[in-house]
Amino acid sequence: MMLDELLSKRLVVLSGKGGVGKSVVGAALAVAANSRGRRVLLVEVDAPLEAARFLGARPAGGRETEVRPGLFTVNLDPTVVMDEYVRHIVPVELLWRRILESPVYHRFFAAAPGLKELMVLGKVMVLEESRTGFPRRPRYDLVIVDAPATGHGLAFLKVPLAASEAVPVGPVGHNARRILKLLRDPERTGLVVVAIPEEMAVVEAVQFHRMAVEEVGIHASALVLNACHERRFTEAEEAEVLRLASEGASGRVAAGIGLAGALVAARRHIRRRKLTRFYQTRLKRALPLPMISLPFLFEEELGPDSIRLLAARLEAA
Amino acid sequence: MRSGVSATRTAVRLDRALRERRILVVCGSGGVGKTTTAAALGLRAALRGRRVLVCTIDPSRRLATSLGLNQLSGRPRALDVGRFGPPPGGAMWAMTLDTKRTFDALVERHTADEEARRRILENRFYRQVSSALAGSHEYMAMEKLLDLSADERFDLIVLDTPPTRHALDFLTAPDRMMGVLDTSVLRWLLKPYFVAGRLTLKVATRTGALALRLADRALGLQFLQDLSEFFLAFDGMYEGFKERAARVHELLRDGGSGFVLVASPARTTLDEALYFHRRLRDGGMPFVSFVVNRARPDPSQVALRERGSRAGRRSAPSVDPELLDKLAAVFRDQKRIAAAERRSIARLEARTGEALVVVPEMEADVHDLRGLKEIADALFEGVVPRRRGEAREGRRAVAVASGPGEREP
Repeated sequence: MMLDELLSKRLVVLSGKGGVGKSVVGAALAVAANSRGRRVLLVEVDAPLEAARFLGARPAGGRETEVRPGLFTVNLDPTVVMDEYVRHIVPVELLWRRILESPVYHRFFAAAPGLKELMVLGKVMVLEESRTGFPRRPRYDLVIVDAPATGHGLAFLKVPLAASEAVPVGPVGHNARRILKLLRDPERTGLVVVAIPEEMAVVEAVQFHRMAVEEVGIHASALVLNACHERRFTEAEEAEVLRLASEGASGRVAAGIGLAGALVAARRHIRRRKLTRFYQTRLKRALPLPMISLPFLFEEELGPDSIRLLAARLEAA
Repeated sequence: MRSGVSATRTAVRLDRALRERRILVVCGSGGVGKTTTAAALGLRAALRGRRVLVCTIDPSRRLATSLGLNQLSGRPRALDVGRFGPPPGGAMWAMTLDTKRTFDALVERHTADEEARRRILENRFYRQVSSALAGSHEYMAMEKLLDLSADERFDLIVLDTPPTRHALDFLTAPDRMMGVLDTSVLRWLLKPYFVAGRLTLKVATRTGALALRLADRALGLQFLQDLSEFFLAFDGMYEGFKERAARVHELLRDGGSGFVLVASPARTTLDEALYFHRRLRDGGMPFVSFVVNRARPDPSQVALRERGSRAGRRSAPSVDPELLDKLAAVFRDQKRIAAAERRSIARLEARTGEALVVVPEMEADVHDLRGLKEIADALFEGVVPRRRGEAREGRRAVAVASGPGEREP
């Protein structure tokens, strides 16, 4: 259901507080879409560690790289995107070389607030619009963008609006308005808010949703609650665990596992599970969005198997 | 590498910094609990008699949540820490950065007259830059920091920052700002054509004309006009800006300042902490300590700690075999995560040669002063012993004895 709605879009923007696992969710979403036969591009922005690693692939860097049939990743470096733009508008090699090498250009680019964000979003738009083959068809069925963490994620999405107001005429304003139009088109673009069952992440998800919808005017499609602790004991078993713990029971659970330690783990699990439920309820009340919960995975490093598992959960939602 | 002793020594160093420094900058990647750590450190210092201001430049305003407040204004607001019985003089304030207001104040400080002020404040480019655009936060954070550092009301300013990549922006903001204000070429390019407030492509030199035409193609005349007006309006302020940027540069490298790097025990954020550590060193900025937040507890360790306090326990009750299987599975999962985190932490210690202060995960989410107090206590557990002995050496011993099926370093 939720996946159908997202797959009907051309562009999906993921956002949420840092550390909520946006890139994992992005990879899982890309795999889910890909397994439905879509050509998918997963876009990251200046990511220190790329989501490609979850897919068992090498980092793509600035080049769109096919990590498996029909699934591409790219990690946009704003500086490189800007250089490309300069090359695009300045046709003579000697000239753009001179520009790119000039310290003025570098300083200006490093310091001009919002320019990087605008360039990156412009590039995303170009990727969304790119056509291939004959007859022409979209190069990608779906572009998924892993936007930078919330505070800046919102600033990121606000840039086209700000730029179109700051520079009403000329190519900057023109492009800013085109980007804004794409972001605001509910047929083409959907926002996915990512959170985890923790106070700060939940508060931020609610704030972010409100600002993105009201200020940027982007259509929100879904909420993904990542790293949920799901029930593993029945209610009777939970009661038994708490009873045993209060009695200070000891003994063995299995080879090498004492009952006392196992009860500590079980109590922690129950606490986390309750917290998960609490935040699920709160988010359901606060946000008018379909919510998908993904499980916490007890893995040291997530790999293709973990991502497949999460993708299956997205598929089932 | 890791030993209880060196970790405690690090905590002592951090504690001393809280007593002696004027500025502590708390950095780290997203979601590691920087804001909570900043607030907990601030509280600790206040409870040791200092007048502390905790300031967040995080545009998503997390500090308010971690202090259990709905709103924090752009002005320091006193928090009620009385219930923890601070020593005389100890007090705590909190605030978030209001980017636009700070920017406006800066303009007002540096403009000579009303007319110049109005020209800037009404410039379209300025209006967007000062409030909406990413990047302004960092500029203004540094400006505010300079302002606050001279404020007599506070002995210590604890500064929370945006996620790592952007926190780096923050550190380099003074330098970048100086760089841009220094771009005499840009001014040379733009100034002559806009003096009259309107644009003409009839310029003296052919190179100048070409450059302008290219800029027009890339950015548009209107944009250039706004931009040049902006630069012109700022003309009289260059020196003032430059001077302040240079002072921030010095302030951050001063012995009275210190940097605390926060990470979570997940490998990726520890890698970022490592990168940041290197950058601080290269930049000549005073590093104080790593703090690793929310380390997941090793269940057998916790059990061992709790056991001593219980009397009259029963032995070997009969438990349903199905429940036993589930208990074993839940235990193994948590043990695996705890072990993985310990390995990541040991790796960071080995690679930096620094001991880490490790804060265990709290039972509940922390979002009020009481929770912050618990974290502050946990941070400095080794400094002022609270529980019997120190669990850290013991943890290692048991990890070895945990039997087959458990991967251990």
